[in-house]
Amino acid sequence: MLRIPCPHCGERDETEFRYRGDAGKARPAGDADIAAFATYVYERDNPLGWHVEWWMHVAGCRKLLKLVRHTLSHEIHAVLAPDAEPPFPPREQGR
Amino acid sequence: MPGPARIGRGLLTDGDRPVGFRFDGRELTALAGDTLASALLANGRRLVGRSFKYHRPRGVVTAGPGEPCALVDVIGSAGREPNQLATTLVLREGLVAESQNRWPSLSVDALAINDLLSRFLPAGFYYKTFMSPGWAWERLYEPLIRRAAGLGRLVAPAVEHPAPAETVHDHADVLVVGAGVAGLAAAHRLGACGLKVLLADQDVTLGAGALLEARAIAWREQMAAALARLPTVRWLPSTTVLGAYGHGVFGALETLSPEAEARFGGLRERLRVIRAKRVILATGAPERLIAFPGNDVPGVMLAGAALGYLRRYGVAVGTRPALFVNNDEAYEALFALHGAGVRPAGVIDPRPQSLAMERARSLGVEVHAGAVVASVAGRRAVRGVSVANVGGGHRATLRADCLLMSGGHTPSTALAAQLGAPLKWQEAIAAFTADLAPAVGSVAGAARGVFGLAAAARDGDAAARAIATDLGRAVNSAIAIDLPADPAATPLAELWEVSAPGKAFVDLQNDVTTADVRLAYREGYEHLDHMKRYTTHGMATDQGRTGGLTGAAVLAKARGVPVSRVGALKPRPFAQPVPFAALAGGEVGEHFKPKRRLPLHDWHEAAGATFVRAGLWLRPLVYSGSSGWEPVLAEARAVRSAVGITDVSTLGKIDVQGPDAAKFLDFVYANTFSTLAVGRARYGLMLREDGLVFDDGTTARLAPEHFLVTTTTVNSVAVLEHLEFHLQTVCRELDVLVTDVGDHWAQFAVAGPRSREVLERVVTGVPLSNEAFPFMAAGAATIAGVAGRLFRISFSGELAYEVAVPARHALEVWSALIAAGKPLGIRPYGLDALNTLRIEKGHVTGAELNGNTTADDLGMGRMLKASGDHIGRSLARRAGLLAPDRLQLVGVRPVDATRRLRNGTQLVAASARSTSLGYVTSSTPSAELPGWVGLALVAGGRARIGERLLGVSPVHAETTDIEVVSPHHADAGNTRVRA
Amino acid sequence: MAIGVCRLDLTELAVLRGHAADLPAVARSGGVALPPTGRVAVSASALVLSVRPERWLLLTSPAAAGAGAAAWSERCAGLAAVIDHSSGLAALHLAGPSAREALARGCRLDLAMDAFPPGHAAATSMAQVATILAALPSGLLILTPASTARHLHEWLMGAARPFGLAPLAEITVSTFFGHNDP
Repeated sequence: MLRIPCPHCGERDETEFRYRGDAGKARPAGDADIAAFATYVYERDNPLGWHVEWWMHVAGCRKLLKLVRHTLSHEIHAVLAPDAEPPFPPREQGR
Repeated sequence: MPGPARIGRGLLTDGDRPVGFRFDGRELTALAGDTLASALLANGRRLVGRSFKYHRPRGVVTAGPGEPCALVDVIGSAGREPNQLATTLVLREGLVAESQNRWPSLSVDALAINDLLSRFLPAGFYYKTFMSPGWAWERLYEPLIRRAAGLGRLVAPAVEHPAPAETVHDHADVLVVGAGVAGLAAAHRLGACGLKVLLADQDVTLGAGALLEARAIAWREQMAAALARLPTVRWLPSTTVLGAYGHGVFGALETLSPEAEARFGGLRERLRVIRAKRVILATGAPERLIAFPGNDVPGVMLAGAALGYLRRYGVAVGTRPALFVNNDEAYEALFALHGAGVRPAGVIDPRPQSLAMERARSLGVEVHAGAVVASVAGRRAVRGVSVANVGGGHRATLRADCLLMSGGHTPSTALAAQLGAPLKWQEAIAAFTADLAPAVGSVAGAARGVFGLAAAARDGDAAARAIATDLGRAVNSAIAIDLPADPAATPLAELWEVSAPGKAFVDLQNDVTTADVRLAYREGYEHLDHMKRYTTHGMATDQGRTGGLTGAAVLAKARGVPVSRVGALKPRPFAQPVPFAALAGGEVGEHFKPKRRLPLHDWHEAAGATFVRAGLWLRPLVYSGSSGWEPVLAEARAVRSAVGITDVSTLGKIDVQGPDAAKFLDFVYANTFSTLAVGRARYGLMLREDGLVFDDGTTARLAPEHFLVTTTTVNSVAVLEHLEFHLQTVCRELDVLVTDVGDHWAQFAVAGPRSREVLERVVTGVPLSNEAFPFMAAGAATIAGVAGRLFRISFSGELAYEVAVPARHALEVWSALIAAGKPLGIRPYGLDALNTLRIEKGHVTGAELNGNTTADDLGMGRMLKASGDHIGRSLARRAGLLAPDRLQLVGVRPVDATRRLRNGTQLVAASARSTSLGYVTSSTPSAELPGWVGLALVAGGRARIGERLLGVSPVHAETTDIEVVSPHHADAGNTRVRA
Repeated sequence: MAIGVCRLDLTELAVLRGHAADLPAVARSGGVALPPTGRVAVSASALVLSVRPERWLLLTSPAAAGAGAAAWSERCAGLAAVIDHSSGLAALHLAGPSAREALARGCRLDLAMDAFPPGHAAATSMAQVATILAALPSGLLILTPASTARHLHEWLMGAARPFGLAPLAEITVSTFFGHNDP
């Protein structure tokens, strides 16, 4: 189980949050073509390593957090505000 | 002393408190503090079960939770519970237990024939044998195998246990797993530094196992007293840490003592979810078996287990024990038994010499150095052992009634491995160990391969010091480890198996032999985890604690590589079997899910409502206890002909405020809200970004920058989250605040041609004429003296209003409305009548908003705004979502009005019956028209209005002629709502 | 251990963009101080707690329907959204030395006195429902949506039973108010 350090509430159990998917995808401009929206809605990487993702603290402050999480070790490298640019993912730890 | 084998005082048993119990129908007596295993051994019972596959007689092998053989059924007032470990089951007065996997009785087992047929039952036997014919698996093979295989039987309990388990949440600075010497020293050090410590141990007593050695008893008592004085140290007895889940989270299962069980109302188990900043794994190193022919005969057990039974319970496991070991630590059992007056039959040790061997010789024990056990005489009990030289050749035969074995000790690395720690081979102890990253914690004591009491205690203390420093605590160095020096010991000699004829087991619980492992290798299963799955080695409930590494070593030998190359079995949670009841905790039965109740729940109940669960809500279905459609139709007819009132408080209600509120709603809704006037409401359709319909509802503009959004009952949580998500991402620049106000407002629909008359009697401050308060009007109003809101919206298709008041005033307002409507024939109506009315009107709900439908499919394509961005705009225009043959919403009616409709009925053309054109989504007997009416999703449905189709329901063996009609069965011109 | 049902009005203030700095003064004019997120403050006429950034819940003595919210709407016009939750949230009060231990049977937060001392507030879920906890000198105040209040109350009774349970009492919120002027 993840323990997510919420910047507003402190460290909380994963069960208090709702996973809201890949935070690396930006919604295209409204007039973008169908292909651009299809990419936004359907195309997802499945990285082994660092992943930038949305978690909403639904049982707490209801704020949306941007997490940089390692998909194998589950290490959380950063918890950011939604508009923050994630720091360059840390180097892969030896595994 | 109850039981003939009880030769002394045990540290855990109370000689003054005899306890009666029954095993396989026989009344026996033991002592308070005994486990079922020690009680049986005290009574001279060796044979306690039959093995899994070959039905061979089996006895007690261990004295703890790694027991592979002594599994029993316990019969209590609540029924039969299988697979209870006799070695950890604390005896209670009147306990009734039965052996497993035998028929008709333990000593005569018909399926023991499997043992004689064993050459035909090798590893992979099932895979190879039951291949064909295909039909035979289900009808013949599986029933036969099910009968023969398995351990305990699951029998449904006679009575439901009211509260068998619960989940408790714990927080600590440091979790110390294991209360042996290392764990005790660590907990003491951490507690002395003021850190909050949880000390979890599976045993009922502190300092189990090694601490029961005579030379450490004083230190153990001193530590126990010191820990009790430390306010921040909490000892959790009978608590097994089941798994490590990362981020400092651990799961543990606590078995309650009889006293705690009584206090907690019969609670038996407690699942603990522990969060700790650091962990110290002082989990020890269980002894492992040696694979030699006959190593499963009752009476063959681990040497450390024999020591445990003597020290803890005062029970001698035999009167003439032989010892077959490869390490000096295991001799402690022999010395202890000798000291208690038991005459050993002899020692068999593959090593040429050792310090412990010399000591045994000096006690006058017959010692066979450089020797192994080649076979065991006896079937239901050990009668003797045959000793061979290490290089082969018979050496001697010993008469013995039990054989104590030890192949060394294997550090428990399961939890460390779950935390991602790599395993390292330690030549000196012929086993793997693991280390944790400092940010996680550390491994200490025997679990790290540090054997010897004083050494392990010092190791635990060192680990604790490092962690305390790391957590910013000053380390008080005044604590000394006051333990006698560890005796010098000769290193062990690797010994995994004895090559001699006969079955030598590496997994006693799953009946896996050395031959099975070699067969797996020959058939290509070279990887340890493949061998495991092929042979089932290590897959039983004991997870191969006693023989896991032994099996790996046999595989290594077959492959011609060192054990370190083969690795160890991957340990997964849980560390021991966990009852489902413990995982469910208190969330069972009535408490499985929380119930959301309406503000007027009690009124509805008193009015005779039958309730239905809608999501978490309890909603009145119909105000009648009787099934059937008549009461429903009576409620619906009241609405169509006069007036009815229904509780719609379950609707989601979201307060939307801010300068950009209108702009935001234009983006989240597919239709426009910025043009909505203050004091008006509009039906809104939300799409998902993929262009399909998400939810619908009515949204009212209360002030220029203040809206109230309503959602469907089931989607209220999802819609709120959807809005909040977009406000924090795509719409970040908008100044809007959304707030859930669902529970604050009680909301009632008053519907029917006479609804205005009812409202006029209770509403003040708002003129209700059609001109002053037209269809889709909304605004503040005082209802029965309560400040609230009034909406002229209609789900039923009749002239209707919805009133909203703060929920604490629900009863007074509802009662006033009922009283005002009484002369007009008002009736409360439930969800069923509500559904009848909306189906007649052609309004959609969850059955049609099913996540596969577009606005156009539902006949609302024209609602989508022509310009401006909104969620789902782009993808809603995909060709596939605009195809004319998509399933579209239509109305359906049986041609013969005496026939009924059913939800899910497939619709086909009479000319092409094998092609489904769609299905009925909702149906009801009509309050207004003769017979049934329904809604359906039909391919190109709107173009088929007027056609006839066949409604086919194979499960009901029904075929009905269906007419496709407009979804608006009632008041297609929409005149009533505007009346 | 005693569980009490609390009668009170609840008004939420949620800051509109760019007005966070203006709100404390407005709050003071209404007689309350606004604590930071995760804290509860005691005023002479209210308890004020915050579990969401830039949002505060004002707990006051019951008044006529909507009266409290209406007064605050006037004060906060253009600065904050004001939302009435008086009927939307129910309040329970837990007192007694075992209250925190009993709550660990369903609450995932660390409620040890040093981790959650009086003055702290948190939103979490307990017994599967949303809850807001506030530590007061007198005990723990628990807010839960009105529709799940009965469920949570039943669960609390069960959780508290092994620790001894005093009969149900009704508490007026003003007993928690203090006189430390904002």
